[in-house]
Amino acid sequence: MSEDRPLRGRKLADRRVRVDRPHQPFFRYAGPGQLVAREAASRPTTAVGRAWARLKSTAIGRPLANEEEIGERLAKKKALAIFSSDAISSSAYATEEILRVLLIAGAGAFIWSVEVAVAIALLLGVVSLSYRQVCRAYPSGGGAYVVARENLSQLAGLVAAAALLIDYVMTVAVSTASAVAQVVSVEPGLYGVRIEIGVAVIALITVANLRGLRESGNVFAIPTYLFIGLTLLMVGLGLVRVMMGDAAPVAPQPDALRAGTEGIGLLLLVRAFAGGSVALTGVEAIANGVPAFKPPEARNAAATMTTMAILLAVLFVGITVVADAYQIMPTMEGGQTVVVLLANAVFGGGSLLAVGFAVATALILFLAANTSFNAFPRLAAILAEDGFMPRQFSFKGDRLAFSWGIVLLGGIAAGLLVAFGGETHALIPLYSVGVFVCFTLSQIGMVRHWFSVREAGWRWRATINAVGAVLTAVVLIVVASVKFWHGAYLVVILIPILVAMMLFIDRQYRSTAAQLAVAPDRVVKPTRRDHRAVVPVAGIDRATIQAVNVARSISDDVLAIFIAQDPVRATEMRARWEAQLPHVPLVVIESPYRALTGPLLAYLEVLDRNWPGERGVPVTFVVVPEFVARTWWERLLYNQSVKRLRAALVGRPHTVVVDVPYRREDPESTPDTGRSAGGSAVSRPDPPAAT
Amino acid sequence: MSSISQGAFRRAVVGLAGGVSDERIVRLTASLARLQRAELVGVHVVEIDWTLPIDADVAGRSEEAQRVLDMAERTAEEVGQKLQPVLLQARDVGAALVDEASERDADLLVLGLPYRKKFGGDFAIGRTIPYVLKNAPCAVWVIREPIIEERS
Repeated sequence: MSEDRPLRGRKLADRRVRVDRPHQPFFRYAGPGQLVAREAASRPTTAVGRAWARLKSTAIGRPLANEEEIGERLAKKKALAIFSSDAISSSAYATEEILRVLLIAGAGAFIWSVEVAVAIALLLGVVSLSYRQVCRAYPSGGGAYVVARENLSQLAGLVAAAALLIDYVMTVAVSTASAVAQVVSVEPGLYGVRIEIGVAVIALITVANLRGLRESGNVFAIPTYLFIGLTLLMVGLGLVRVMMGDAAPVAPQPDALRAGTEGIGLLLLVRAFAGGSVALTGVEAIANGVPAFKPPEARNAAATMTTMAILLAVLFVGITVVADAYQIMPTMEGGQTVVVLLANAVFGGGSLLAVGFAVATALILFLAANTSFNAFPRLAAILAEDGFMPRQFSFKGDRLAFSWGIVLLGGIAAGLLVAFGGETHALIPLYSVGVFVCFTLSQIGMVRHWFSVREAGWRWRATINAVGAVLTAVVLIVVASVKFWHGAYLVVILIPILVAMMLFIDRQYRSTAAQLAVAPDRVVKPTRRDHRAVVPVAGIDRATIQAVNVARSISDDVLAIFIAQDPVRATEMRARWEAQLPHVPLVVIESPYRALTGPLLAYLEVLDRNWPGERGVPVTFVVVPEFVARTWWERLLYNQSVKRLRAALVGRPHTVVVDVPYRREDPESTPDTGRSAGGSAVSRPDPPAAT
Repeated sequence: MSSISQGAFRRAVVGLAGGVSDERIVRLTASLARLQRAELVGVHVVEIDWTLPIDADVAGRSEEAQRVLDMAERTAEEVGQKLQPVLLQARDVGAALVDEASERDADLLVLGLPYRKKFGGDFAIGRTIPYVLKNAPCAVWVIREPIIEERS
């Protein structure tokens, strides 16, 4: 199609025509018969749709194309901030968890805190070494779930996945509660609105993550590095003071917890170890998100894992050593946290550095939640691709983020925060059980992996994983038994429920796929099947006539059905129909009980039964005239019965529902019956069939 | 003209023949256009012989013609430059290119020169390039395809 008249050239005979390219704003040809949709093709056409798109674009940014995905990948520095903020931030409360347990045996038991912290750091070393190997062996991500699924069994994989999903939800709730506690430490007046602050922060992180990986990395990198820098400074300064003998014990706060009188024993140390093991939470996140790294993905992920483990060990053990030297006493819920008390002691209470540290700690604890916002949706997407979660979880949103997973995580975590009243210590018992289930399963899985591949160095790799498996299994038993009655039993109940749910979804998808499957070698031949069209009508108007015309284009066998509520109206309708649409038979059904859908469905049944058996069941096209409302209030006024009718017909065997929309603006919608019997065919667009 | 000799231009028309050299010339011109914030117009001309009217529905129905322009647009976008695609029908490709460049007030017209290996190898200079070189009101760049020497 040419644009307009030929354009004249410089010479007399040189004429040319510019050719219209109607596809150009919406599509791009990529090959023969192959089009790629442009952004404009997805642009909403209605006013409401456009307003929603504008709002979404303001909140989360413009939609990104698939080819921009590589630009969304993370370099190591940003990836450390995104994937390690969870692990690194646990150094802000892991020491406190140890001290709270040891306090039962009196302040003198604090001396054991360093030994407990070192033992946890050693465990961290083994676990991170093992996960480095997971990164290299499974570069497509998925962490413990994929390792267990591939090397143990599908069930083991699902147990790991369920534990991980619970863990990620807990991370968001615990980190946010902990961050709010940190803020309340500095400003106690905010204790009353701690839940509201927590929920608002979760909402903000949710939106930031919906904006995509790279942007959330930009937002979250600074606080992470600020926390690392200030904590290293605090630990360094504290150690110098300890060595110089300047570390004077800090007097207990008025709201300090009372020291117990229980004797120090192995059980107490084990409980302290279980409490402090929250430091290991989040270590697996990097292994789950390997594809988010810039190439070479596996190498970069493994390097980031090592950096994270070293940083976490230094910070955690450092804080514990300095806190022990200063004899910091934990306070009651709502009071100052151990790290804030320590910062006050080292930097000086109220100093810029102390306040800066408290702010950085609160920020990184908020950001720890962000790690889960990256890991949870990725795991959910892998599970969805494997058929264990609804498929929506594998769809990427406008910004190439797994939007469904992000929104679900935000919703559940906020709900949990509200349910537990925003208290960190009420949430922590639920926390580390899931993590250690994953650690143990992935380590066992890796041992089997090395035995099956037997590549260079497999013996020492398998040994590391075996040691890790034994250690994490022991910790799992300890953590589960110590924390069982404090809330960990909930995890023990939740994991089987989640696994059962995932198996149910998988079975559902499999059975549907089996029912819908077409053999790959089958050549589909054109079939001929009888069909007829039925048009439910409520009167004669332009919408009805348009529907009747559509029905006649579908089939020669067209029948109009009018459900009448009183005999007088039925007689009037028949008279008018036979005068104006004599070529289409009308069946009038009187409905003394005023029902519309029931008599229509019953009549369709009767039609089916009357069909000659030797011709097979015909396809019935139910052609429904629908008046297109222009405004929201028109939508309330019209088409309510059409919706009911459609809902009743969906799923009816051998039935196809055809909507025929009538727009008042359509010039071609003028009826073809002319102005015979009744003058104007219609004076106003009566609500069609079923309004 | 002196600015063109230094590689500077403000509006360039790139003639797209639908061959392998299209991507090369678009990429090169788009990179240069991006540096100096110049406009880029990609023109593909479908030649209509005298048996058909000039406005016959030929190019609009040709997926290949659309693909040539879409690929050029995509190549330009890959280097961060916008390319305005134009599809023309004309009796003579050279004349249409010159007229389009003239009407758009372009100061540069870019063409690719393909190399054919057949019959010992030669440049397929054809009719279009000589016509454009002789008649274009602006500077003309003819970008030669590299000759890949076969090792004996």
